[in-house]
Amino acid sequence: MSHGYTPSDPDWRRALTRFVTVIPHTRELGLEVLEVTPEMTTMHLPWCDDLLGDTTRGLVHGGVLTMLLDTVCGSAVLPALPAPEVCPTLDLRVDHFRPGVAGQAIFAEARVVRVTDSVVFTEGTLWQEAGRPLARGIGNFVRLGPRNTPEGFAEALFAREDDHA
Amino acid sequence: MREGFGDLEWLARTRAEGDVEAWLALMPYARRIGVSTLPDPQGEGLLFRLDPCAGNVGNVLLPALHGGVVAAFMETAATLDLMLATRAPRLPRIVDISIDYLRTARVTPTLARCSLMREGRRMGNVRVCAWQEREVVPVATARLHFVLGDPAEGGA
Repeated sequence: MSHGYTPSDPDWRRALTRFVTVIPHTRELGLEVLEVTPEMTTMHLPWCDDLLGDTTRGLVHGGVLTMLLDTVCGSAVLPALPAPEVCPTLDLRVDHFRPGVAGQAIFAEARVVRVTDSVVFTEGTLWQEAGRPLARGIGNFVRLGPRNTPEGFAEALFAREDDHA
Repeated sequence: MREGFGDLEWLARTRAEGDVEAWLALMPYARRIGVSTLPDPQGEGLLFRLDPCAGNVGNVLLPALHGGVVAAFMETAATLDLMLATRAPRLPRIVDISIDYLRTARVTPTLARCSLMREGRRMGNVRVCAWQEREVVPVATARLHFVLGDPAEGGA
Protein backbone atom coordinates (compact mmCIF):
# COMPACT_ATOMS: atom_id res chain seq x y z
CA MET A 1 0.00 0.00 0.00
CA SER A 2 1.03 3.58 -0.33
CA HIS A 3 2.27 3.89 3.24
CA GLY A 4 5.08 1.40 2.91
CA TYR A 5 3.24 -1.90 3.52
CA THR A 6 3.85 -4.41 0.74
CA PRO A 7 1.42 -7.35 0.99
CA SER A 8 2.81 -10.81 0.20
CA ASP A 9 1.01 -13.17 -2.20
CA PRO A 10 -0.63 -15.02 0.73
CA ASP A 11 -1.74 -11.64 2.16
CA TRP A 12 -3.38 -10.92 -1.18
CA ARG A 13 -5.01 -14.35 -1.25
CA ARG A 14 -6.56 -13.63 2.15
CA ALA A 15 -7.56 -10.12 1.05
CA LEU A 16 -9.29 -11.31 -2.14
CA THR A 17 -10.91 -14.17 -0.21
CA ARG A 18 -12.35 -11.50 2.04
CA PHE A 19 -13.36 -9.45 -1.02
CA VAL A 20 -15.38 -12.31 -2.62
CA THR A 21 -16.75 -13.42 0.75
CA VAL A 22 -18.17 -9.97 1.48
CA ILE A 23 -20.02 -10.03 -1.87
CA PRO A 24 -23.30 -11.85 -1.12
CA HIS A 25 -23.66 -13.43 -4.57
CA THR A 26 -20.22 -15.07 -4.66
CA ARG A 27 -20.29 -15.94 -0.94
CA GLU A 28 -23.55 -17.86 -1.35
CA LEU A 29 -22.13 -19.77 -4.34
CA GLY A 30 -18.99 -20.68 -2.35
CA LEU A 31 -16.44 -19.03 -4.66
CA GLU A 32 -12.89 -19.68 -3.42
CA VAL A 33 -9.63 -17.86 -4.13
CA LEU A 34 -6.90 -20.40 -4.94
CA GLU A 35 -3.88 -18.25 -5.72
CA VAL A 36 -2.93 -14.62 -6.14
CA THR A 37 0.30 -13.33 -7.63
CA PRO A 38 0.93 -9.83 -9.01
CA GLU A 39 0.43 -11.36 -12.49
CA MET A 40 -2.50 -13.74 -12.03
CA THR A 41 -5.52 -14.39 -9.81
CA THR A 42 -7.05 -17.90 -9.80
CA MET A 43 -10.42 -18.91 -8.34
CA HIS A 44 -12.59 -22.01 -8.04
CA LEU A 45 -16.39 -22.28 -8.09
CA PRO A 46 -17.65 -25.56 -6.63
CA TRP A 47 -20.43 -27.30 -8.53
CA CYS A 48 -24.06 -26.80 -7.53
CA ASP A 49 -27.18 -27.52 -9.59
CA ASP A 50 -28.23 -23.84 -9.45
CA LEU A 51 -25.47 -23.11 -11.99
CA LEU A 52 -27.45 -24.86 -14.73
CA GLY A 53 -29.05 -22.94 -17.57
CA ASP A 54 -30.51 -26.00 -19.27
CA THR A 55 -31.47 -28.95 -17.10
CA THR A 56 -32.51 -31.05 -20.12
CA ARG A 57 -29.03 -31.09 -21.60
CA GLY A 58 -27.12 -30.48 -18.35
CA LEU A 59 -25.42 -27.24 -19.46
CA VAL A 60 -24.12 -24.37 -17.34
CA HIS A 61 -25.97 -21.03 -17.70
CA GLY A 62 -23.86 -18.71 -19.84
CA GLY A 63 -24.57 -15.94 -17.34
CA VAL A 64 -22.68 -17.87 -14.64
CA LEU A 65 -19.59 -17.60 -16.84
CA THR A 66 -20.07 -13.86 -17.34
CA MET A 67 -20.57 -13.38 -13.59
CA LEU A 68 -17.39 -15.36 -12.84
CA LEU A 69 -15.31 -13.44 -15.37
CA ASP A 70 -16.56 -10.12 -13.98
CA THR A 71 -15.60 -11.28 -10.48
CA VAL A 72 -12.18 -12.75 -11.26
CA CYS A 73 -11.14 -9.87 -13.55
CA GLY A 74 -12.40 -7.29 -11.03
CA SER A 75 -10.48 -9.02 -8.24
CA ALA A 76 -7.24 -9.23 -10.25
CA VAL A 77 -7.37 -5.43 -10.57
CA LEU A 78 -6.71 -4.85 -6.86
CA PRO A 79 -3.16 -6.31 -6.54
CA ALA A 80 -2.17 -4.49 -9.75
CA LEU A 81 -2.77 -1.01 -8.30
CA PRO A 82 -0.34 1.07 -6.20
CA ALA A 83 -3.02 1.06 -3.46
CA PRO A 84 -6.46 -0.59 -3.45
CA GLU A 85 -9.10 1.54 -5.18
CA VAL A 86 -12.75 0.84 -5.91
CA CYS A 87 -12.91 -0.06 -9.65
CA PRO A 88 -16.36 -0.68 -11.12
CA THR A 89 -16.70 -2.59 -14.40
CA LEU A 90 -16.82 -0.27 -17.40
CA ASP A 91 -17.51 -3.00 -19.94
CA LEU A 92 -17.11 -6.71 -20.36
CA ARG A 93 -16.92 -8.95 -23.41
CA VAL A 94 -17.29 -12.74 -23.12
CA ASP A 95 -16.60 -15.27 -25.89
CA HIS A 96 -18.13 -18.71 -25.34
CA PHE A 97 -15.87 -21.45 -26.72
CA ARG A 98 -17.83 -24.45 -25.46
CA PRO A 99 -20.64 -24.94 -22.93
CA GLY A 100 -19.90 -25.78 -19.32
CA VAL A 101 -21.26 -29.16 -18.23
CA ALA A 102 -23.09 -30.28 -15.08
CA GLY A 103 -21.27 -31.75 -12.13
CA GLN A 104 -17.82 -30.18 -12.51
CA ALA A 105 -16.30 -27.23 -10.66
CA ILE A 106 -15.36 -24.19 -12.74
CA PHE A 107 -11.90 -22.63 -12.53
CA ALA A 108 -11.30 -18.96 -13.32
CA GLU A 109 -8.12 -17.00 -13.82
CA ALA A 110 -7.49 -13.39 -14.77
CA ARG A 111 -4.55 -11.12 -15.41
CA VAL A 112 -4.13 -7.40 -15.71
CA VAL A 113 -2.86 -6.40 -19.12
CA ARG A 114 -2.37 -2.67 -18.56
CA VAL A 115 -3.00 -0.04 -15.90
CA THR A 116 -3.45 3.61 -16.91
CA ASP A 117 -4.38 6.61 -14.78
CA SER A 118 -8.06 6.06 -15.53
CA VAL A 119 -8.61 2.43 -16.59
CA VAL A 120 -7.39 -1.10 -15.79
CA PHE A 121 -7.49 -3.53 -18.76
CA THR A 122 -7.90 -7.22 -17.87
CA GLU A 123 -8.49 -10.59 -19.50
CA GLY A 124 -9.70 -13.85 -18.00
CA THR A 125 -10.25 -17.51 -18.85
CA LEU A 126 -12.57 -20.21 -17.47
CA TRP A 127 -12.26 -23.98 -17.65
CA GLN A 128 -13.55 -27.20 -16.13
CA GLU A 129 -10.91 -29.49 -17.65
CA ALA A 130 -7.36 -28.13 -17.99
CA GLY A 131 -6.52 -27.15 -21.56
CA ARG A 132 -10.18 -26.95 -22.64
CA PRO A 133 -11.28 -23.34 -22.01
CA LEU A 134 -15.01 -22.65 -21.72
CA ALA A 135 -14.87 -18.92 -22.22
CA ARG A 136 -12.62 -15.91 -22.50
CA GLY A 137 -13.44 -12.53 -21.04
CA ILE A 138 -12.09 -9.05 -21.60
CA GLY A 139 -13.02 -6.62 -18.85
CA ASN A 140 -12.15 -2.96 -18.46
CA PHE A 141 -12.44 -1.35 -15.04
CA VAL A 142 -12.61 2.34 -14.13
CA ARG A 143 -10.21 3.67 -11.50
CA LEU A 144 -12.22 5.86 -9.15
CA GLY A 145 -9.02 6.99 -7.46
CA PRO A 146 -8.22 7.43 -3.77
CA ARG A 147 -10.66 10.34 -3.45
CA ASN A 148 -13.67 8.16 -4.35
CA THR A 149 -12.49 5.07 -2.50
CA PRO A 150 -14.10 4.74 0.93
CA GLU A 151 -11.87 5.47 3.91
CA GLY A 152 -10.44 2.25 5.29
CA PHE A 153 -10.99 0.15 2.10
CA ALA A 154 -7.40 -1.17 2.07
CA GLU A 155 -7.35 -1.67 5.84
CA ALA A 156 -10.60 -3.67 5.64
CA LEU A 157 -9.12 -5.91 2.93
CA PHE A 158 -6.00 -6.67 4.96
CA ALA A 159 -7.48 -6.71 8.45
CA ARG A 160 -6.62 -9.89 10.33
CA GLU A 161 -9.46 -12.14 11.41
CA ASP A 162 -8.78 -11.36 15.09
CA ASP A 163 -9.14 -7.62 14.46
CA HIS A 164 -12.85 -8.20 13.90
CA ALA A 165 -14.00 -9.68 17.16
CA MET B 1 -38.14 -37.83 -25.81
CA ARG B 2 -39.03 -36.29 -22.44
CA GLU B 3 -40.24 -32.71 -22.40
CA GLY B 4 -37.47 -30.16 -22.61
CA PHE B 5 -35.42 -28.08 -25.01
CA GLY B 6 -34.49 -31.17 -27.03
CA ASP B 7 -38.15 -32.03 -27.67
CA LEU B 8 -39.31 -30.20 -30.81
CA GLU B 9 -43.01 -30.83 -30.22
CA TRP B 10 -42.78 -29.46 -26.65
CA LEU B 11 -40.73 -26.49 -27.80
CA ALA B 12 -43.20 -25.63 -30.57
CA ARG B 13 -46.18 -25.98 -28.22
CA THR B 14 -44.76 -23.91 -25.35
CA ARG B 15 -43.66 -21.30 -27.89
CA ALA B 16 -47.12 -21.12 -29.49
CA GLU B 17 -48.63 -20.70 -26.01
CA GLY B 18 -46.01 -18.10 -25.06
CA ASP B 19 -45.26 -20.29 -22.03
CA VAL B 20 -41.96 -18.67 -21.06
CA GLU B 21 -42.49 -19.97 -17.49
CA ALA B 22 -42.03 -23.52 -18.79
CA TRP B 23 -38.65 -22.49 -20.25
CA LEU B 24 -37.56 -20.65 -17.10
CA ALA B 25 -38.39 -23.78 -15.10
CA LEU B 26 -35.50 -25.50 -16.91
CA MET B 27 -33.03 -22.66 -16.14
CA PRO B 28 -32.06 -22.93 -12.44
CA TYR B 29 -29.56 -20.04 -12.45
CA ALA B 30 -32.12 -17.69 -14.03
CA ARG B 31 -34.58 -18.70 -11.30
CA ARG B 32 -31.97 -18.29 -8.58
CA ILE B 33 -31.34 -14.67 -9.55
CA GLY B 34 -35.08 -14.04 -9.88
CA VAL B 35 -35.82 -13.51 -13.59
CA SER B 36 -39.49 -13.18 -14.58
CA THR B 37 -41.46 -11.74 -17.50
CA LEU B 38 -44.32 -9.29 -17.92
CA PRO B 39 -46.31 -8.11 -20.92
CA ASP B 40 -44.77 -5.10 -22.64
CA PRO B 41 -47.24 -2.23 -22.04
CA GLN B 42 -45.97 -0.61 -25.25
CA GLY B 43 -46.42 -3.56 -27.61
CA GLU B 44 -47.03 -7.24 -28.17
CA GLY B 45 -43.77 -8.57 -26.78
CA LEU B 46 -42.40 -9.09 -23.29
CA LEU B 47 -40.39 -7.16 -20.79
CA PHE B 48 -38.05 -8.99 -18.43
CA ARG B 49 -37.63 -8.33 -14.73
CA LEU B 50 -34.82 -9.06 -12.27
CA ASP B 51 -35.86 -9.29 -8.62
CA PRO B 52 -33.73 -7.25 -6.21
CA CYS B 53 -32.84 -10.42 -4.25
CA ALA B 54 -30.34 -10.00 -1.39
CA GLY B 55 -28.25 -12.71 -3.06
CA ASN B 56 -27.80 -10.55 -6.17
CA VAL B 57 -25.81 -7.89 -4.33
CA GLY B 58 -22.24 -7.40 -5.56
CA ASN B 59 -21.30 -4.31 -3.55
CA VAL B 60 -22.48 -4.05 0.05
CA LEU B 61 -21.14 -0.53 0.60
CA LEU B 62 -23.26 1.25 -2.01
CA PRO B 63 -25.20 -1.18 -2.08
CA ALA B 64 -25.44 -2.29 -5.72
CA LEU B 65 -26.30 -5.38 -7.76
CA HIS B 66 -23.46 -7.62 -8.98
CA GLY B 67 -22.60 -6.54 -12.53
CA GLY B 68 -22.21 -10.18 -13.53
CA VAL B 69 -25.74 -10.93 -12.27
CA VAL B 70 -27.08 -8.03 -14.33
CA ALA B 71 -25.27 -9.54 -17.35
CA ALA B 72 -26.74 -12.99 -16.61
CA PHE B 73 -30.21 -11.40 -16.42
CA MET B 74 -29.70 -9.69 -19.78
CA GLU B 75 -28.43 -12.90 -21.38
CA THR B 76 -31.47 -14.79 -20.07
CA ALA B 77 -33.76 -12.07 -21.42
CA ALA B 78 -32.07 -12.18 -24.84
CA THR B 79 -32.31 -15.99 -24.99
CA LEU B 80 -36.02 -16.11 -24.07
CA ASP B 81 -36.90 -13.20 -26.34
CA LEU B 82 -35.08 -14.86 -29.24
CA MET B 83 -36.88 -18.17 -28.66
CA LEU B 84 -40.19 -16.32 -29.00
CA ALA B 85 -39.22 -13.99 -31.85
CA THR B 86 -37.63 -16.32 -34.42
CA ARG B 87 -39.68 -17.38 -37.46
CA ALA B 88 -39.61 -21.04 -36.40
CA PRO B 89 -38.70 -22.77 -33.11
CA ARG B 90 -34.93 -22.50 -32.63
CA LEU B 91 -32.59 -23.28 -29.76
CA PRO B 92 -30.22 -20.35 -29.25
CA ARG B 93 -26.69 -21.04 -28.06
CA ILE B 94 -24.71 -18.00 -26.98
CA VAL B 95 -21.59 -17.13 -28.98
CA ASP B 96 -20.61 -13.86 -27.35
CA ILE B 97 -21.90 -11.02 -25.20
CA SER B 98 -20.63 -7.47 -24.88
CA ILE B 99 -22.03 -5.42 -22.03
CA ASP B 100 -21.58 -1.74 -21.17
CA TYR B 101 -22.22 -0.70 -17.58
CA LEU B 102 -23.65 2.80 -17.73
CA ARG B 103 -24.79 3.42 -14.16
CA THR B 104 -24.76 1.74 -10.76
CA ALA B 105 -27.60 -0.81 -10.57
CA ARG B 106 -29.25 -0.22 -7.20
CA VAL B 107 -30.93 -3.02 -5.24
CA THR B 108 -34.34 -2.30 -6.76
CA PRO B 109 -36.26 -4.09 -9.58
CA THR B 110 -34.48 -4.02 -12.95
CA LEU B 111 -36.36 -4.25 -16.25
CA ALA B 112 -35.07 -5.15 -19.71
CA ARG B 113 -36.30 -4.90 -23.27
CA CYS B 114 -34.78 -6.90 -26.14
CA SER B 115 -34.58 -6.20 -29.87
CA LEU B 116 -33.86 -8.89 -32.42
CA MET B 117 -31.58 -7.01 -34.80
CA ARG B 118 -31.04 -9.86 -37.23
CA GLU B 119 -32.26 -13.41 -37.64
CA GLY B 120 -30.08 -15.21 -40.17
CA ARG B 121 -30.07 -18.88 -41.13
CA ARG B 122 -27.37 -19.65 -38.57
CA MET B 123 -26.91 -16.56 -36.41
CA GLY B 124 -29.05 -14.20 -34.40
CA ASN B 125 -28.09 -10.77 -33.05
CA VAL B 126 -29.98 -9.33 -30.06
CA ARG B 127 -29.67 -6.00 -28.26
CA VAL B 128 -30.78 -5.60 -24.66
CA CYS B 129 -31.39 -2.45 -22.67
CA ALA B 130 -31.76 -2.68 -18.87
CA TRP B 131 -33.10 0.08 -16.63
CA GLN B 132 -34.48 0.70 -13.14
CA GLU B 133 -36.29 4.01 -12.65
CA ARG B 134 -36.86 5.03 -16.26
CA GLU B 135 -36.12 3.35 -19.58
CA VAL B 136 -34.40 6.48 -20.90
CA VAL B 137 -31.85 6.16 -18.07
CA PRO B 138 -30.42 2.67 -18.69
CA VAL B 139 -28.12 0.97 -16.17
CA ALA B 140 -26.62 -1.30 -18.84
CA THR B 141 -26.84 -2.14 -22.53
CA ALA B 142 -25.68 -5.38 -24.14
CA ARG B 143 -25.41 -6.98 -27.55
CA LEU B 144 -25.26 -10.72 -28.05
CA HIS B 145 -24.74 -13.22 -30.85
CA PHE B 146 -26.36 -16.64 -30.78
CA VAL B 147 -26.08 -19.70 -32.99
CA LEU B 148 -29.64 -20.67 -33.87
CA GLY B 149 -29.74 -24.41 -33.41
CA ASP B 150 -32.16 -26.76 -35.06
CA PRO B 151 -34.12 -28.34 -32.20
CA ALA B 152 -34.73 -31.46 -34.31
CA GLU B 153 -30.98 -32.08 -34.16
CA GLY B 154 -30.86 -31.53 -30.40
CA GLY B 155 -29.52 -28.00 -30.51
CA ALA B 156 -26.82 -26.12 -32.33
